[in-house]
Order: sequence, then structure tokens, then C-alpha cells
Amino acid sequence: MSAATTVRLTHAQKGSYIVILISFDIDGTLEVGDPPGVLTMAMVKRVQKQGCWIGSCSDRPISAQRAIWAQHNISIDFAVGKLMLPDVKAKFVADMYYHIGDREDLDRKYALDAGFEFLWPHEAIVHPWFL
Amino acid sequence: MTPQNPPASFYRTTEGLGLWEHRGKVAAVGVGHSPTARRWDGTPETCVGAWSILALRRAIADAGVSPNQIDGLVLDPVTTTGAYWPEGVPVPMDVVNAFHPTSDPLDGIAKLSAEWILQNMPELTNIQFVMYGPRCMSHAIVVAAQAVGEGLTHTCLVLKSWHNFEGRYYQGGANAQDTIDGTSAISRLWGTPASYGTALQFAEYCRKYGKTHDMMAPFISNSRRNGLLFPEGYWAQHRPEPLTTEDYLAARWIAKPANLFDNDIPIMVSAAYLFTTPERAKDMQQKPVYILNHTSSRATPRSLTPTLEEVEAETAKTGRKLYEGAGITAADLSFENMYDGFTLFHQFHLEGLGYRGIKCGEALDFYQTDISIEGPNPVSPSGGNIGSGRSRFWMHTDCIQQLQGRAGARQVTGVTPEIAVSGGPMPLGGNFTVWSATPD
Repeated sequence: MSAATTVRLTHAQKGSYIVILISFDIDGTLEVGDPPGVLTMAMVKRVQKQGCWIGSCSDRPISAQRAIWAQHNISIDFAVGKLMLPDVKAKFVADMYYHIGDREDLDRKYALDAGFEFLWPHEAIVHPWFL
Repeated sequence: MTPQNPPASFYRTTEGLGLWEHRGKVAAVGVGHSPTARRWDGTPETCVGAWSILALRRAIADAGVSPNQIDGLVLDPVTTTGAYWPEGVPVPMDVVNAFHPTSDPLDGIAKLSAEWILQNMPELTNIQFVMYGPRCMSHAIVVAAQAVGEGLTHTCLVLKSWHNFEGRYYQGGANAQDTIDGTSAISRLWGTPASYGTALQFAEYCRKYGKTHDMMAPFISNSRRNGLLFPEGYWAQHRPEPLTTEDYLAARWIAKPANLFDNDIPIMVSAAYLFTTPERAKDMQQKPVYILNHTSSRATPRSLTPTLEEVEAETAKTGRKLYEGAGITAADLSFENMYDGFTLFHQFHLEGLGYRGIKCGEALDFYQTDISIEGPNPVSPSGGNIGSGRSRFWMHTDCIQQLQGRAGARQVTGVTPEIAVSGGPMPLGGNFTVWSATPD
């Protein structure tokens, strides 16, 4: 997570909108992953345009995560290693937190433990945010 | 031809043996690598057998010899990275039948017999010697070096290949069974990650010497940097991602204090070398790199996993054996390429060698100095498994290429590459080689 570029926001700063934070796993989830997932970078951009905070939570090196987003001209709010979703939640005050990933053990389990809602990629892709 | 298993007399396992009787009389000349992949894609062209053939043919071409000049083959028949053919899944017969199969349909897909190689490389018409060097290239090198030294073969291919399938690492094979037997019934009953033993040793190392896991970061970053300069490697070919200190320190624990990047990534890859005698090497295409000595560790721990004290004693013994047989001292080493998969035991090898005079408990401080390929004290210029994926052979390829002066962007520049050492895998249980640019 880039402490230099992220700011802890308060409910007052958010205004009356519902703030949604979405964390993306990369491998097996995004199209740029290894293996590729079903979520395209264009979909991620659509989500971001709707005002969601977005970022990645992956086993990829954090510097590599940032490089992937930069290559696709997507400005992210956070990039963290696996198991660091509690840090994300501590840093961002949102109304809803989601993590999208493809692993029961490393994605779903730790997302739920961190108080995030969890979506498998095939569930996420039909969610209104992505359409 | 039925492969032989190496006799015990092939191995130099004890101190006091004096100079290796074949010191400088065996040379590595040719090097060949297959491409790399994270996992097999299911096609005949990329199965472990096909890539083995590719690596072998590249080594032959690199050395500039005719296939009919080759009279020996040493290989490891086990190719698993921890991935096994899934029970109940049909073997793809289109792949099997794309080659000349043996009686085992998984030969060339999930294992590799000498018979399969010889049936599928008809150009190798003069093979008189075939031997297995199980477990890793370090072992195969020792077997091939001794065989050439003893005159059992004069032009010998040395091969190590790895397959990797879909699915999770170490979730198949014996780990997928309902029961477990032998020592594993105690040591692996609870499904510990493979790195847990090394992690325990490293934790004790930090406690004893007042060091921290964070101090590993420069070694990790340096190794990945070197790996990204290794065009044959996985990370250079597929995901040219550096590993920064922040990346390393943020990684999750696998077996604390071993984190994700202290463990290597399983890949598919093959490598082959061509060994010969100095006399024959004169007529070959590449500069020969001479083997001054080889040694093997066969120590067994007193309990389930080696203690720090056992590790330190054995790596020191390995260092003494290497130097004794090669007729050199630690001061003669231009660089070191000891094994790193797991990263947390590399410092045990380094301290055992007394590389650059470092003693027990000093390696992590040494990592804070200039250990780059441009500096006076290169550490793991190959980048090892951290730098290029799990093969256990980047260190050997790098020694050969560095001493031949053809390591490319990875070439060491802070020292003159004259003598190097490589080997592994484990501090207790491994095979090690001293390489030299000259035979004496």
C-alpha cells in the first residue's frame, strides 16, 4: 500500500454517496493474470469510473502490481500483498468492502476474516458495476 | 541399454581423500537449455520429453560435436517439481504417440527414462554408458564427472528436466494419500510446507547471532536482478519483475520466518551439458571449463530435521572437502553459486565455504555490502532459483558460462572469473562441484 499516495478519508469527506472499495486478486482473476482471469482491465476501469476505490491484493510483488496497473493507465488506491486486507480496511473507510479472487484459501478465507464481502470472478463479472 | 545406478565409490563424501584423482581431467564444454513455462500446456512440443530433447540437441550443437561422437548419458529420471499426474485423468495418447514411447505412457510426460531419450534421439548412435544421477543436476554432474574421469565415457551428455502440471504444488503424490508411512509419518504428518525445516534453522540462526529476516532483502533483490539478466530463466522470459526490499518484506509467511519469496516457483524447464576430456575439448566449439573436484554430503540429522549446529558442521565439512580435493583455498574462489532454494539456507553454504573469509553468523551482514556482479564479492551471480525459477541448475550453467566468458549481461566484472563453486540442494544432503577456467 502506498502510504505516500493514500489518505484516510472520513465519512464527512465522502459526502452522502455510498463508498465501495473493491480489491482485485490478479492471477486467475484479472485478464492479465497467470493464469488469465475473466475480468478485463476495461471492466476495472468501468468500476472505477463509478466512483469505487480500487486496488489489488495479490501474491505478485507490490512493485509488479503497481507496474501492471500503470501499464493499463489505471490509477489505483492501493496495492498490497495477500493477507493485507486488514491494512486496507484500516486505511480506507468505506461503506462496503469487496475482494474478488479465485482461491478459497488465500482469497475467500482471508477476505471474510478481514470483514470483506467476497466474490468469485464469475460472480463479479455479472455484477452491475462491471456492466 | 539398461541404465546403471552410480556405485558408492563414485562419491567423495569424507575428508582426508586428498586431491581428486581426476582433477582438471574432466571439462564442461556445451550448454543447452529448453524454454521455460509455468506449467505444461498439454502439447507434445512442450512436454518434458520434448524439452529434454531440445536441451540435449542445443548442448550438442553448442559444443560443436557430432551426435555420433557422444558415448555417454547421465540423467535424472524423476522430473516432478512436486506435481504428479492426477489420478483418474487419462494420459493424453496424442502426446504419447507423438514420440516413440516406452512401456510407461507417462514416460516423457511425468518422468523421463534413459530408454525414452535414446528411442527419441536416433542420432545418438554410439551411447555406451548410461547412468542415473537422481534428484537434481548437482547429482548428475558429480556422476558424469566421475564417469568421464574414470574413462567410462569420453563425451557425455548430462541432463536434468522438470515438469509442472496444473494444480497446486505438493498437493498430489504421497501428500494426497490417506496414509503415510516411514519417517514421513512423523515428519510430514501435519502437512508442513517444504521450507519449514530451513525456516526453523534460520530462526535459530537469527536468535543465536542477533540477526533478522529483513537482512535477507539485499540478497533477494540481488538474486532476482541477476536472474533477470539470465535469458534462459523463467522470470526473464515471462515476468520480468524485480523484487524490491518492500516487495520482499510485504510478502506473506509460508513457514515463518520463511516468506513467499524465500520459496521458489515451480516451472517446466530442461538443461543439458556436454562433458568431455580436456584432449577432446580442444577440438570443440566452446572454451572448456575444468572440474577440479566434486564432493557429496550424505549426513543425516539426529532427529526429524537438522539442527542449526548440524547444518553449520556439515556445510563447513563440505567446504573443507571441496578445497582439499581441488587443491585450493577459499581465497581462490572468484565467486560462489551455491544453491538457494530455499533462500534461507544460502548463508549456511556461504559460511561453510568461508567465502571471502566470512564466519558463522556473518553472512547476513555480508549481504548488506556490495554482493553484485559488478563488485569484488559476487554472491550467487546466477540468481539461482530466486532469479530464474525452480531448476536447481542455474548455478551450474552460470559457473560454466562465467568461466567461459559468455554470461552476457550477467558476466561478473568486479572479479576475474577463474574458479567457482556450485552445488546443493540441502546443507545436509547434496552434491557440489569446483569449476575452473584452467585445468591446474
